[in-house]
Amino acid sequence: MDKFLFLLSEGFKNLWRHKLTVFTAVFSVFLSLSTIGVLFIAEQNTHKLIEYMRTKYKIEVFFDGSVSNEQASQHVQEISKIPGVYSTTLITKEEALKIYKSQFGDDISQFLDYNPLPVSCVVNIKRKYSGYLHMAPIIERIKGIDDVDMIKHQSRLISRIEKFYEKGLLGLSGIAFAIILVTVMIISNTIKLTIYSNKDLLMALKMIGATNTFIRMPFILEGIFQAVLGAILASAMLYGIVYGANEMLNQITTYTINVDWMFLSWLFLIAVVISLFGSSRAISRFIK
Amino acid sequence: MMIQLENVSYSYRKGFGLANIDLTINDGEFVFLIGPTGSGKTTLLNLMYMDLLPDSGRVSIGKYNSDSIKKRKIPTLRRTIGIISQKYHLLNDRNLFENVALPLHVIGHNQNDIAGAVEEILEEVGLSGLEDHYPQELSGGEQQRACLARALIKDPDIILADEPTGNMDPVSSFDLIKLLEEINSEGTTVFMASHNYSLIKSRNHRIVEIHNGKLRSQ
Repeated sequence: MDKFLFLLSEGFKNLWRHKLTVFTAVFSVFLSLSTIGVLFIAEQNTHKLIEYMRTKYKIEVFFDGSVSNEQASQHVQEISKIPGVYSTTLITKEEALKIYKSQFGDDISQFLDYNPLPVSCVVNIKRKYSGYLHMAPIIERIKGIDDVDMIKHQSRLISRIEKFYEKGLLGLSGIAFAIILVTVMIISNTIKLTIYSNKDLLMALKMIGATNTFIRMPFILEGIFQAVLGAILASAMLYGIVYGANEMLNQITTYTINVDWMFLSWLFLIAVVISLFGSSRAISRFIK
Repeated sequence: MMIQLENVSYSYRKGFGLANIDLTINDGEFVFLIGPTGSGKTTLLNLMYMDLLPDSGRVSIGKYNSDSIKKRKIPTLRRTIGIISQKYHLLNDRNLFENVALPLHVIGHNQNDIAGAVEEILEEVGLSGLEDHYPQELSGGEQQRACLARALIKDPDIILADEPTGNMDPVSSFDLIKLLEEINSEGTTVFMASHNYSLIKSRNHRIVEIHNGKLRSQ
């Protein structure tokens, strides 16, 4: 217990002893976590936008003119079981006529003495998709259903939006990964510099019989403290950015940036993992 | 604690180190190692505290020997050895108290025991009252005594001193040897390397001479 408390206090004291390198490391953790945080908030809000757009995606299915409302109802049930379909709305011949009348003002059945409009169905797509939403398989499945005459959809537009979103996600993940990698290198190098300037400490500790764990621990704890400090600063800045942006948005629109602040705990976890990785990598060069 | 080297050889990647060293230092003995710079004195000492392991032959320190010692046991061995070097290896960002207390933190002593032990050892080496001083505020002789205090605080069975008087004036050098003799008189084995023959010739201890990595006389 005494040994642990000593190592813990050494980790803390090292923050002050190596203030210049600590400042560099904390600042790089702060910068990278802030960037990752901004990317995450952007992704969260883009995802909400995509989900909203998906509520507008519709597929209109028209059945053969000879299909009765009852037969169409059975086909619609079949459609609703297709993976990716959120809901279906059957539009009977009579309802189609009402819609026509409300839109064009004429009762077409009076001219023709019969109702020429087919039974149709509006298919809504699930909006809770974590990645790229593929419309083609849904349309192919609907095409395979008996009595389907025509399908109207905006799959090319949807496909473009979804592809753009997917590429964006991939790009953001790539950037975040690159930032994490660079931060690991920066932390590793700053700890290496610290160790270089503390060769006497390593030598003294070795001479007096310190185990490798005992020698490593203050450097690793120092790295963790740096990461936590960087994460606190980054969290404060992200909160400030979101708060400020929402204040500005409130003046011009009702849209607000929504953030699940639980992601900050992930940010802290990332910071600690980065620092553990960086400091272990640095110290392993000196202590085999 | 006895030190024994049996037919020990060690070579560096860049060149020659030591060849076929046979040496026994008995428990409680005081032995000087003399030889010019680059003759292998530091290599021999490094082998004794197993910072280096021999290419061939065997180094035995008490119950530990270089053939069978596990890597994780080397720190345990070093806790029984007090090492003093010419370069001191004092930590400039810690005061004298913290420097001297370090070995006890490594062993895991509690803070109260440490405070008492540090005061006692600083008095023994004549550094009382300088606890708050940083190494750069101490003279060369004081720094070497601080290094000695750090080696002694854990009550070692063996003292290995590598040119401890290298940076000291003759008076301080003489005082340090007297201090080491006092420690030796209490049963601690002392093995001290030096290239200053005039300093050690008058002391009544065994002198081992090393030249070009080989022992010449004992």
